[in-house]
Amino acid sequence: MKKLYTIFWTLFLGMNANAQNTQAQKDTAKVLEEVKVIAIAKKKIQTEMKMAVSVDEFLASSDNISFIKRGAYAWEPLLNNMSTERSTVTIDGMHVFGACTDKMDPITSYVESNNLSAIDIKSGQEGSLHGATVAGSIDLKRKSTPFSPEKKYNGAYQTGFEFNNKQFFNLGNLSYASDKFVADGSISFRKAGNYYDGNNNEVNHSQYNKFNTSVALAYKTSPFSAVRVDAIFDKAKNVGFPALPMDLWLSRAIITSASYKQLFQHGLIRAWDTKVYYNAVEHYMDDTHRPENLVHMDMPGWSTTYGLVSRANLKRGDYSAEIQLNAYHNLSIAEMRMYPQDRSKRTMFAYSWPWVTTRFTSVAMNNSWDISENSRVNFGGSLGYNYNRSKYVEFNWIFHPGTPQEKSRILPGLHASYQLTINQFNFSAGGGYGHRAPSVSEGYGYYIYNSFDRYDYIGNPDLKNEISYEANASAGFKNERMGIEAKVNYFYIQNYIIGRILSLGSPMNYQSVGVKGYTSLDHARLFNMALNANYNILQHLHWKGTLTYARATDDKGGNLPFIRPLSYQTSLHFMYKKIGIQTSLNGDLTQINYSPEYGEDQTPAYMIWNISANYSFNIKNCKTVLQVGAENLLNEYYSTYADWGNIPRMGRNIFTSLKFSF
Amino acid sequence: MSCTKEKTDYEAEINTVVTEHYEFKEAAAISSEGYTISIEALNGTFYKGYNEIRLKITDTRTNENIHASSVTFLPVMSGADGSNTSCPHLYDLTYNTDDKYFTGYVVFTSESNTNRSWELYTSFVVNNKNYPAKQNITVQEQPNKNLNMTAFTGKDGEQYIIALVSPQKPTVAENELIAGIYKFNQPASPPSGSFPDPSQFSYTAVSNYTLQLDPRMPEPSMGNHSSINNKDLTQQSDGLYYGVVNYTMTGNWTLNFIMLNQNGKILKGTEVPTDFAPGVEGVKSDLYIDILF
Ligand SMILES: [Cu+2]
Repeated sequence: MKKLYTIFWTLFLGMNANAQNTQAQKDTAKVLEEVKVIAIAKKKIQTEMKMAVSVDEFLASSDNISFIKRGAYAWEPLLNNMSTERSTVTIDGMHVFGACTDKMDPITSYVESNNLSAIDIKSGQEGSLHGATVAGSIDLKRKSTPFSPEKKYNGAYQTGFEFNNKQFFNLGNLSYASDKFVADGSISFRKAGNYYDGNNNEVNHSQYNKFNTSVALAYKTSPFSAVRVDAIFDKAKNVGFPALPMDLWLSRAIITSASYKQLFQHGLIRAWDTKVYYNAVEHYMDDTHRPENLVHMDMPGWSTTYGLVSRANLKRGDYSAEIQLNAYHNLSIAEMRMYPQDRSKRTMFAYSWPWVTTRFTSVAMNNSWDISENSRVNFGGSLGYNYNRSKYVEFNWIFHPGTPQEKSRILPGLHASYQLTINQFNFSAGGGYGHRAPSVSEGYGYYIYNSFDRYDYIGNPDLKNEISYEANASAGFKNERMGIEAKVNYFYIQNYIIGRILSLGSPMNYQSVGVKGYTSLDHARLFNMALNANYNILQHLHWKGTLTYARATDDKGGNLPFIRPLSYQTSLHFMYKKIGIQTSLNGDLTQINYSPEYGEDQTPAYMIWNISANYSFNIKNCKTVLQVGAENLLNEYYSTYADWGNIPRMGRNIFTSLKFSF
Repeated sequence: MSCTKEKTDYEAEINTVVTEHYEFKEAAAISSEGYTISIEALNGTFYKGYNEIRLKITDTRTNENIHASSVTFLPVMSGADGSNTSCPHLYDLTYNTDDKYFTGYVVFTSESNTNRSWELYTSFVVNNKNYPAKQNITVQEQPNKNLNMTAFTGKDGEQYIIALVSPQKPTVAENELIAGIYKFNQPASPPSGSFPDPSQFSYTAVSNYTLQLDPRMPEPSMGNHSSINNKDLTQQSDGLYYGVVNYTMTGNWTLNFIMLNQNGKILKGTEVPTDFAPGVEGVKSDLYIDILF
């Protein structure tokens, strides 16, 4: 992060200098863009192994992200081994909430790799800029083409085929830039059949179809200001979830925003960006392809959010800061309608989210102060106000008689860290403190069936705020030849929210074995560790390795579920002229610390070998890359600790892709 | 962008099988020697099951509301075989001074048809003169299953009737459940005087009984689903029995009962299995009432 800050502020200084000269107008076009792009941790949306990745595959390449997988599509990202309730996931700072009570639609499923430029992951309270969090934040950054003094068209088209599940995809994007006006557009189609596991058995209900398109228009209103409107439309249809008792018939999202950005040449405030947004998600599940279901159910869900995010960048001397105001309003609705065996009889109806409104407002600030040439202090905080209302509170009263219909919470957060660079070594140490409010399901969910432990879950509106105390540290060494870095973090989380078996109440869902209520453990502890190293063996031969380890326990010393066992990844990357070859090994060791109490069994160790090669060439002015590769080359049969219901992962997958860009 | 599927209108959802009636309307009018007796019931209809009734007496000439005394009310059902039976009712109506009407209740045990007809016998006293009157009425089937009733013989050999009084329109929520429990008083002596002899048709609300409650969804796919925080029904000062039932979703529910007398002795009802049994129709107590909303 520190490096980014440096780049960021260098750019601003650069802008100041440029602004002085007569060609200010020309340069601001560039600055406008650069400010936006550099202010975040920029990573290209592709992994070393694969250039045509899905958003999920890309996220998976980050060492503090793991996934709960319910099938081949829409993986739920875990940040620091914590589920999505504990992190804030945003698209350009906009809050979007999934409409599925079974978490079939994490926010990452509503974007596509060709409309993103980067994914900004912040760990712990450092991520509180976008809203109250415990685990951190994941911000999906939209692509945005800079203004350009001369008219310019850019575009890319990517197509590919993956043999294992017959996935065929087509991704296209096009942009136009001029001095005053920019337009970005993207469109993508993905269609995949069922995949086959390492024993060459078809995994039924693992198909998917996704369509995504986006458009953005920006207009420069003055040399130092611009307006921008953005829209994403995403539609997933006929998506199988092999680990769940039902599939997805249709999920649609429309995500829109309008923003105004102003840059300032002088003074403390250097940039100010304000955006209003609206998004609506609808989600309809489908159990009609599962003959084992005794009951036919309709489970539609809707989530509508509108909000405001306003952010200012400040700079004076050695001090710089970001201030952000967030405000949003969300309405989450989910219904259950069960059909009796005799269809002439009355259907049975209940809300699984009884029209739950969430209103959230927060002011957050991140500060950075260079105390000397080789040391820096970062500190910041946020203060949030969270309000919930359950329209049909009588549903919540069944398990929590008399609980108030409305609930307000104050969510403070604080963090600080110190960074020190001594020659080729760098060190950091930091701490944080923050609250989060329960999610809609944790607070107001009603008989939400969890097919992992096979319990129906009941929300508790009276849950206390989850309070996180966090410490983190890192140490690294870097020279031209090699780099090594170790990072650790530790979370002590008070009032840790988790489902506990209720001795009373009987399940509603046919597959369920009982009822669990969300309750607070006195505390839980989580520890994450990552070790990264890279070494340039030859000028064109690079090695990289990652080792991660995590451990998490509840207040009685029992294991928490979905904690990644010791895992590793090692890769070699060789480049020769226009050819690149990559190979990697990755795997987990045996899951020793699993949690039978929360429905886990022990997952054995596995190791996957991947290989790919690409060839770049030009067709006229068109840059072309052809890639062929294989994932799970040895066709290993495995499932990971976070595979819902132990569904096997994909066996050998040969993939090809071709990308043209101009 | 409009939604692909419409959201459920929750109010309308509950109204699909339940109509709630609030208004008392005239269900029967009887003329007797210059007086008109108007009997009001919810929706102007006598239904099988529990009916609260309001009775007003007006002087036909002056059209004035008369405060009569000793107002009695007795429903009698005549069968095609010549039998005469009654049903739980309040014989001596009470006067509601605020609203100026007499109030009582009747629990019709069957609807009228070609084989049986109901007759209402009333009488009242004005100026020390007794005015008897009678009127044939129609009892209709109760379409609202939340006002169902059951009649049975207890282990003590007595004839009992349990009728649901409230809620008319339950919701997915904690609902106050009100029921009346009545017993037929076997006549001690043969009929005397002019027909009908009230002592032959006497019912009373039982005192200090307990109605244990275990609500379940009978639908096989619901696997004997039940709810929590329910409360057994106990008698309150108005003579009715009050408890709490939680419905976790709309649909068919069975209220399984065990009726205990004032000494805690079981008069009727059996425990139902509590285990989750998907695919099997819920086992009912031998004392139960089905509801639907
Ligand atoms: Cu879903």
